[in-house]
Amino acid sequence: MAGRLRFLWPPILVAVIFLGAWELLVRAKDIKPFLLPAPSLIASNFTKDVSLMFGAGVYTATTALLGLALGTLVGLMLALAAQRLHVVNSLITPLAAGLAAVPIIALTPILNNMFDITTRTPRVLISAIIVFFPIFVNVTRGLIQVRPVQVELMRSMNARPRTVLRLLRVPNALPFFYTALKIAAPLSVIAALVSEYFGGPQEGLGSRIASSAANSNYGRAWAYVLSAIIVGLVYYLVVLAIERWTTPWTGHAQRA
Amino acid sequence: MTANTAAVEATGVWKVFNPDQANQVIALQDVTLRVEQGEFVSLIGPSGCGKSTLLRVIADLTEPTQGSVQVAGLGAHEARQQQRYGIAFQQSALFDWRTVRRNVELPLELAGWSKAQRMKRALELLDLVQLSDFADHRPWELSGGMQQRVAIARALAADPPLLLMDEPFGALDEMTRERMQNELLRIRMETGKSIIFVTHSIPEAVYLSDRVVVMSPRPGRITDIVPVSLGTRNEDTREDAAFFAGVTAVREALRGHEAATAGRARTGEV
Repeated sequence: MAGRLRFLWPPILVAVIFLGAWELLVRAKDIKPFLLPAPSLIASNFTKDVSLMFGAGVYTATTALLGLALGTLVGLMLALAAQRLHVVNSLITPLAAGLAAVPIIALTPILNNMFDITTRTPRVLISAIIVFFPIFVNVTRGLIQVRPVQVELMRSMNARPRTVLRLLRVPNALPFFYTALKIAAPLSVIAALVSEYFGGPQEGLGSRIASSAANSNYGRAWAYVLSAIIVGLVYYLVVLAIERWTTPWTGHAQRA
Repeated sequence: MTANTAAVEATGVWKVFNPDQANQVIALQDVTLRVEQGEFVSLIGPSGCGKSTLLRVIADLTEPTQGSVQVAGLGAHEARQQQRYGIAFQQSALFDWRTVRRNVELPLELAGWSKAQRMKRALELLDLVQLSDFADHRPWELSGGMQQRVAIARALAADPPLLLMDEPFGALDEMTRERMQNELLRIRMETGKSIIFVTHSIPEAVYLSDRVVVMSPRPGRITDIVPVSLGTRNEDTREDAAFFAGVTAVREALRGHEAATAGRARTGEV
């Protein structure tokens, strides 16, 4: 076990040095909290209001999860359509690329008007749109980029396109899918959080960061930021765990 | 299938890429070849001579422009649909996400075998290629030679009468290659399969085959067929006078044609 966890030591060491230097700098130079609060102040704010942190974190995490699920679902379905029908691929791929260039967060006020601002719907949609892009592009690539010799092999055994999809293309696309999901999961949290800055329900981390900062409560604002980091990290680690569990063949030096 | 049905019968096969265009390539010109049941035939020739194309036409992975191909008395298309041949390529083409055993099971899965039957048959075949201990390993944990043995086991899984092999040992080092050749001959003895084997290597073709089909490029065609009779092969065969005679015969067949082409080119003929 000690051997398996050895990889944790370097990042922990770096984090401790970084936080120590930060704390020392703030104390030595007597930097005011509105500029930069010390880690100890953030930590005490976090532990003092841990139940508030947790409640706001759950709200934003739920928005992110709904957006992640929706964006992933749509991305997967369109990727399946794109690998099957070349027309779909040549139509959607440029559109998806165009969509990636749209400052999606900036659409929040518009979506707030289009959908009910008193619900989390507009935020879920923002999160879903942001998630959609990496999922669609990567999974499409994974479904299409199979080794030609493997396709020939399947043909030699009279496999139908649907069987080739199930036995070859989908397993081939799984590592691509998880790479995309590792990008998309933290993005969904950022999208859910930032979209809270544009009005609507005030229970989430984004709203709390904004209101704490507006009330000059910088330690608490940073404590909420810390909560947001934790949510993003948890999502990332969950994806990582699912990846390790379902695709044990990746992460090795293969491919002759 | 009666006793005198050919394992493969190709008649007047043409394959033309980009027909009637400036970049037209005649990959196969009027190729006729009969392979008997249980026979081992190698296709040899320089790059671009159409040997792989001929194999792919027999496998119904590409359609001939003209001519017909019969595999075990069936049209090439029906033969593929009924898995009447197994194929192995230069790349083992194993699926990384499957264990060795489940890679061997792949053709059986496609043929609709039950799980228990598949597993039993796959273990038999892994026994045949002497990889029983690696059934639950992943392909990338195996050496290149072992991966090719798994690919051969997979090609044999559905017990097809014919084995098509496209430079299966081309990526292996010389020592492994010779060991694999002996393995293949042993498997052939034990299973009685007909084998068509594409290779670049003259000694390999002579060591393995009953007949060596010599091909030539531009246009791709059969220029010579060299019969080989070495009897039962063993390690001494490689140092046998008859073996060297076979190698020389194939080399001359390959060269003789090159010289003829060069001669024609000099005199301006096509």
